[in-house]
Amino acid sequence: MQSLATPKCDPWSRNHLLRDAIGQAIYDRMVSDPSIHLFGEGCHVKVHYDAPNIEWDFSDRVHTLPISEDGNVNFAVGASLLGVKPVVDIITADFLYRAMDSICNTAAKANFVRPDQPPATIVIRAEFLTGGPTTGQRPEALFTHIPGLNVVIPSTPRDAYGLMLTALREPGVTLFFEDRMIQDGLIEEHDRRCYAPVGMGYAHERRHGNLKPDCTVVVYGLMRQRAEKALDPMLNIDLLDLRTIYPIDWVQIKASVRRSRNLLIIEPDVQYGGVGAEIVATIAEKMPEVRIKRLGGSRVTIPAAMHLQGGMMPTEEQIRDAVTNW
Amino acid sequence: MTLLQTGKRTLTETMLLVRAVEDRLQELCLEGLAGDLHFSKGQEAICVGVCAALRETDYVVTHHRSIAHAIAKGVPLEPLLAEILGKAEGMNRGMAGEMHMSYPAKRFMFSWQLVGTCVPVAAGLAWAVKNYLKTDDVVVCFHGDAATANGQWHEGVNIAAVQALPLLLVCENNAMAGNVTPEYYSPFGGAMATGRAAGYVIHPDSVDGNDVGAVYQAATKNLAYVRKYHRPVLLECQTTRLGRHKQGQGDLRGKDEIAELAKRDPLRTATPEERQHVEAEVQELFRRVLTC
Repeated sequence: MQSLATPKCDPWSRNHLLRDAIGQAIYDRMVSDPSIHLFGEGCHVKVHYDAPNIEWDFSDRVHTLPISEDGNVNFAVGASLLGVKPVVDIITADFLYRAMDSICNTAAKANFVRPDQPPATIVIRAEFLTGGPTTGQRPEALFTHIPGLNVVIPSTPRDAYGLMLTALREPGVTLFFEDRMIQDGLIEEHDRRCYAPVGMGYAHERRHGNLKPDCTVVVYGLMRQRAEKALDPMLNIDLLDLRTIYPIDWVQIKASVRRSRNLLIIEPDVQYGGVGAEIVATIAEKMPEVRIKRLGGSRVTIPAAMHLQGGMMPTEEQIRDAVTNW
Repeated sequence: MTLLQTGKRTLTETMLLVRAVEDRLQELCLEGLAGDLHFSKGQEAICVGVCAALRETDYVVTHHRSIAHAIAKGVPLEPLLAEILGKAEGMNRGMAGEMHMSYPAKRFMFSWQLVGTCVPVAAGLAWAVKNYLKTDDVVVCFHGDAATANGQWHEGVNIAAVQALPLLLVCENNAMAGNVTPEYYSPFGGAMATGRAAGYVIHPDSVDGNDVGAVYQAATKNLAYVRKYHRPVLLECQTTRLGRHKQGQGDLRGKDEIAELAKRDPLRTATPEERQHVEAEVQELFRRVLTC
């Protein structure tokens, strides 16, 4: 493992552990399921660099499409009607706005309008980068609003592998995010082991406090790493990594909050109208005695100048402060 | 009109069936028993002629004005009407309705409400036919002339051309986008689809879409090309929409204008005997469906 003193989220550090785990999961499923095909912009080039084992063994199942994100997802829906299980690579999460129509109007409804037929399996991939104004956006919360979509944001290679296995095995449409800002150097050995499927809608309890923890910290994506780095392991807290923001693991959240009575949600995204708001509202309705805090990014456009990009996400100091001062 | 057969019916009888079913559905719309449906009155010859030229195993993908296409492709009428009327006995259990229905047993694969979506979906289907199932079947994608102004049309046609897919694009050119006339959405004037085909290096063809025999012949010729060379073809059919865009929406055209268009009605030569025969069948059909 690299030193914990690795530089801050550096877009050029080329984090690759999550990407490798996703590639391995796709490869492993391709071995046993001949209906899985990969589509995307420059797909054969991306596979060449990122997943050489797929290129080596399944180059005939890798298909490069034009830079037409919206058309590409509709194309994949068409292929899925005949039993193909497409993995569509949208490349960068910002490009998802281009494909909102085909994802939300076509793919998300495709299984609903044919209850008489076997449901399709479609995986749509995108990665989070950094930068602005349109290269570091995090549109994941928008998609949790759309019925018919699973939204997956793993924070460890182990979860990325397990969730991709599940996404390709189960029927349904999954939006699978890869956070390129999760630093390889901070990923511990046990989180690197890729061996088993992970179900949709099961949070991972990263830390478990005693019978009466001081608070429940709910995180997803990049914030798992930042919270673990910021928070002393001796603190008496429950730390839940959601892994999928739709479906959400209400059972674990409620079980933990019932013990702690304090809930802190940390999201790597604009806080306004985000995933945290949904969790807060649900818990506040069902358990009004719980004290609630949220940490997230400001609702501002990301400037291109890197030195102005602070405040886009909660810092370690803010996380420490929120956990210790209730 | 020669006696070309689709199943047990002549093409004229199939067109009359479409017309009679849609007329009866229109009555139900006015009675509040059906939603605001999209009818193909005046455009029946295109889907009936093209589907008659298809093999049973060829695929159809279409847009929101899909009732006529489903009938022409041979979807059984009871589950079709039950679907349109929102019944659980419908072919998609009432979940899809007129604009999203599908019936894969008859290779009626996909219809979609949003203009243009059907084109890239049809390209994906054609890709799967060619590269996954590896059969020599062909996909037909019906779309309207207004769809040629939509990005999805262009993205879909581009992919189909690049990937050399067995896709016959049939443009039902009724020179209307809802109530809007082509000067608002096409720089080509009348022949908007074929004018655009050159941009994708695909073969264009055009035919009088109100002459079912001519449509059948054009479709037969182009389907043979698509099947043999695995290249998309764009067949533009000039037609006339005699009804509204959809029920519940006004029509800006005057009665004189529609009467002028009706002179090209593909069913203007149908005999009263033919009409009566089909109408009796449709009455019985609706009686069964409405009581189920």
